[in-house]
Amino acid sequence: MTDLIRTVQQQPWSLWWIQFRRFARIEIRRNLITKRAWWIYFLAFVPAVIIFIHLIVDRHQPSSMTEDTNILAGIVQLYYVRLGVFFGCLGIFSRLIRGEMIERSLHYYLLSPVRREVILLAKFFAGSVSAVVLFGVALTFDFVLMYIGYGGAGQDFMLHGAGPGQFEAYLLIMVLACLGYGSLFLMLSLMFRNPMPGALLLWGWEAINPVMPSLLQKFSVASYLRHLMPVSVPAEGIFALLTVETEPVAAWVAVIGLLALIAVVLIYCCIRMRRLEIRYTTD
Amino acid sequence: MSVFQHEYRPYEGPTTPLWKRPVVLARYGLAEAWGSKITIGLAVLALLPCLVELVLMYLADNPLAKMLVVGNSKVLEINERFFFNLLEVQSWFALVLAAWIAPRLVSFDLGDNAMPILLSHPISRFGYVLGKFIALVLSLSYVTWIPLLLLFVYQCYASPVPWAVGHLGVAFGLFTGALVWIVVLSLVCLAVSSWVKWRVVATGAIFAVVFVPAGVGGMVSAILRTRWGFLLNVPVVMSELWMRLLGVPPFGNPMFWFPNIAIVSVLVVTSLLCVAVLNARIRAREVVRG
Repeated sequence: MTDLIRTVQQQPWSLWWIQFRRFARIEIRRNLITKRAWWIYFLAFVPAVIIFIHLIVDRHQPSSMTEDTNILAGIVQLYYVRLGVFFGCLGIFSRLIRGEMIERSLHYYLLSPVRREVILLAKFFAGSVSAVVLFGVALTFDFVLMYIGYGGAGQDFMLHGAGPGQFEAYLLIMVLACLGYGSLFLMLSLMFRNPMPGALLLWGWEAINPVMPSLLQKFSVASYLRHLMPVSVPAEGIFALLTVETEPVAAWVAVIGLLALIAVVLIYCCIRMRRLEIRYTTD
Repeated sequence: MSVFQHEYRPYEGPTTPLWKRPVVLARYGLAEAWGSKITIGLAVLALLPCLVELVLMYLADNPLAKMLVVGNSKVLEINERFFFNLLEVQSWFALVLAAWIAPRLVSFDLGDNAMPILLSHPISRFGYVLGKFIALVLSLSYVTWIPLLLLFVYQCYASPVPWAVGHLGVAFGLFTGALVWIVVLSLVCLAVSSWVKWRVVATGAIFAVVFVPAGVGGMVSAILRTRWGFLLNVPVVMSELWMRLLGVPPFGNPMFWFPNIAIVSVLVVTSLLCVAVLNARIRAREVVRG
């Protein structure tokens, strides 16, 4: 045990930290400040644009505030988690490794005197920061624009009522969704030459997960996030009949469960990264 | 540079007729598309629902078997709704197949900067797109209207009561509905594949292009309290169109019951947008990044 601690202490942590920061900075710039990322901005901010039109066009009667709260919950649960964050993270995290392979530039990183785990974790961190910043800012816009039209009542709700709690819960959901989906897409891009079929199977799995038995529902990012929703959005139509209601899970259990899943996936990614070989002729 | 040999003469032999040239590209496109084991796997998988429906049709048309399985219940009734459900299922499989095939047809040419070489041959940009379009339409026909019409023919043959004459509209609806979906889907998939260029990304982008507008439409409808936002939901719009073509009595959410002109407008605008994208992307140019 003492040997292990000594070995850990002897590692060049300060050097790794510097390398990590440099890689992360480069990747964040590449993810956020580029014309190619316009569609991720679109995915993140399109609800804000629609809510802004609602703010300008519609009259905000105090009685409709509850309805708007439900609509915002629906946007987070049905649009962001299932579509916006999913496809946004698919674009961001698939590009980190597989995109570099397609552009034939990954070997520059691999040839540099940096541990592969540092490269991978820095890339994951950069992707996570990019996704969280984009979708977090977009969610903040959505929240403010949704209630600002109600004047004093809206401000009171946002600052003193149930608003702050709901906003924090939505933000937590967004962060966990970005990290959860991001880690899975990073893993898929390390495992397969074309990660898209796997990602689309995951998407289908997440979509039909509510109608699965409760045991199978545990193997889903969205099911953990559903337990964190401050306002539940009931299923409609045939899905309402088929949906299997699971026992409510405490928020901390859902968060720790998802973080554990992310940690396991990242450890596996590090192992894959150490054995990664590039053959551009076949890739 | 000096030219020393002046023996060049233009080719004077027989040339391929203009209308046949896209067929050459279609032939190579089909070979490329069906050269993948995943394509074959998806195509086989796509025929499984037809097989299940065939068994159900056998049970429905065989009084003894029907009595043994469901008794006097009307669960196994072969009508417009039956074929409508089947058309919907097959159309989803067509989407999956198109998302896999279309990037193989276009993205390689664009990704490898092969467009200048391809278009230096005696084929126009329109001919190129038409060739790829034919390859995709033929591939998707295999999982949509061809098996559906075969099932229709089987039902006409196996039904114990006169059935065919009274249901010819179903056959027309199946063929037209599937064809409209195939055309729109092919244009969308080719446009996305030409825009994205990377095959790996294009498959995901095709799904995003179909489903993200559906989500946006749902948000528009919910936030602005209008039903017109659902027009962005192409699957919903197509379902409405199919119901009308097959003569299925309206069911489901009344918010989706759009006028015919709105449905046609959505499909025409979508197709024109895709044509515009193809016009912008399919050009004899090479992108060199410094």
